[in-house]
Amino acid sequence: MTEIESRIREEAKKVLENGLVDLVIGWAAGSVPFRTTPVFIDNAQDVDKLVWNPVCANNLAVYLPKMAKNRKVAIVAKPCDIRSIVALIQENQVKRENLYIIGLGCAGVVDPSKLESAAIRLSDIKALEWEGEGIRIVTVDGEQVLRSTEVHREMCLACTKREPALYDVKFGEAVLPSQIKPRELPELPEERQKYWSEQFSKCIRCYACRQICPNCYCEVCFADRVEPKWTAKKAVPEENWMFHATRAMHLAGRCIQCGECERVCPVGIRIAELMREMAEAVKNKYDYEAGDPKEEAPLLGTFRENDIDPAQHSE
Amino acid sequence: MSEDSTLVQERTEQETKESAEQGRTWQPIILGILCNWCSYAGADLAGSSRLQYPETVRIIRVPCSGRVDPAFVLKAFRKGFDGVMVLGCHPGDCHYAKGNYYARRRIALLQDLLKALGLPEERFHFEWVSASEGNRFAELVQEFTEQIRRLGPFKGVVAVENKSS
Ligand code: SF4
Ligand code: SF4
Ligand code: SF4
Ligand code: FES
Repeated sequence: MTEIESRIREEAKKVLENGLVDLVIGWAAGSVPFRTTPVFIDNAQDVDKLVWNPVCANNLAVYLPKMAKNRKVAIVAKPCDIRSIVALIQENQVKRENLYIIGLGCAGVVDPSKLESAAIRLSDIKALEWEGEGIRIVTVDGEQVLRSTEVHREMCLACTKREPALYDVKFGEAVLPSQIKPRELPELPEERQKYWSEQFSKCIRCYACRQICPNCYCEVCFADRVEPKWTAKKAVPEENWMFHATRAMHLAGRCIQCGECERVCPVGIRIAELMREMAEAVKNKYDYEAGDPKEEAPLLGTFRENDIDPAQHSE
Repeated sequence: MSEDSTLVQERTEQETKESAEQGRTWQPIILGILCNWCSYAGADLAGSSRLQYPETVRIIRVPCSGRVDPAFVLKAFRKGFDGVMVLGCHPGDCHYAKGNYYARRRIALLQDLLKALGLPEERFHFEWVSASEGNRFAELVQEFTEQIRRLGPFKGVVAVENKSS
């Protein structure tokens, strides 16, 4: 158990015992050492289940709109998870006063699916720990340190906001990456179209990307609507395109760049790359960053008189 | 043919073939989403003034440009329209005061989305047209139709190799 882990547990115990919250949401060890699982604790005796390590990937903010609706909840949260929380507060999906945020400085999390390609036998892994910018992997026959570029979740490789922007208590220090992974979409429109056609053709429409996303909280998603029918449910490339294009539009100015959608996709579609492209556009056009506490209103729920004019030939 | 197939596109291909056979210029099919209070009235004025412009635009009338869900445009492309134009009241002139200011942000980001997805941006046109601008409406349709003619028929939202049918 690391020092931060024990402080998280103490804090959880404290807020449950003194009645400040009814529930603590955090991560617990998974069935294998390279996975964690969300855990919901309502009894102070159970706080030792809580863990904090490089495979605490889940953005737990996804549970808040329902779970923190009518009660006070403590949540253990990474900086990106906290951006989700900020966005949910701004969009009136959760009340700040219902939350107790245990914020963590971050050094990036691991995408377990990348461990396999890093020539490690998954069954040999005993533990994962942060080691500077990299990750120390303890296996049955020793240990090795892998570079972040080999094993970090894609979004983490582009993330510089590793300090919590909103919290009630904060533990741990951020480790900033020495380099940022550049955006890598092809330049030419035809090549881009080809790229996304290939990507979207793989989609099986399981909707894991939507379910995991803290900002996809609509009770009835456009993709499930029958009347009007925005997109057929069958997984054909054109309909998949419609699903992904519309979802990207719905998240424009709202996606906080946690990369969860991409991590959970069973067929490895580079969804977060599209999300990153849109977040760049939002930043360039409106100097707006989703999940930043300085933003007063949701981007598309407001405007400025001097916003840029998208008309092509205005006179 | 199922109801989900790209009706417009099949029709366009058919028409392209026919017009080529008959030696006519190919007529694109364009979706025009027009605000009732300004651009739609502008289109009406163009008609009642008997201005000539190509019959390429299929018009959907909306109460305000603020009603335009970017998914309308995405779905139009998914269905195979060769071009889509969205027209609204000039900034400051919206019948509902602010609708077009909200539209402005959505449309601007829609343009970025089309770009990120690699769709030809020239197939989408956004413009402010008032009720008194009948002439301007006719010119716009003329110009946009020319632009789409130069691009040729839209081949669809996914690359040819990945098409389902
Ligand atoms: S996106 Fe940033 S804050 Fe979130 S886990 Fe990755 S490095 Fe940490
Ligand atoms: S779209 Fe993906 S990256 Fe953006 S908030 Fe949702 S899960 Fe996170
Ligand atoms: S998680 Fe992947 S396969 Fe499932 S719907 Fe999303 S993009 Fe498609
Ligand atoms: S009424 Fe025409 S844009 Fe709002």
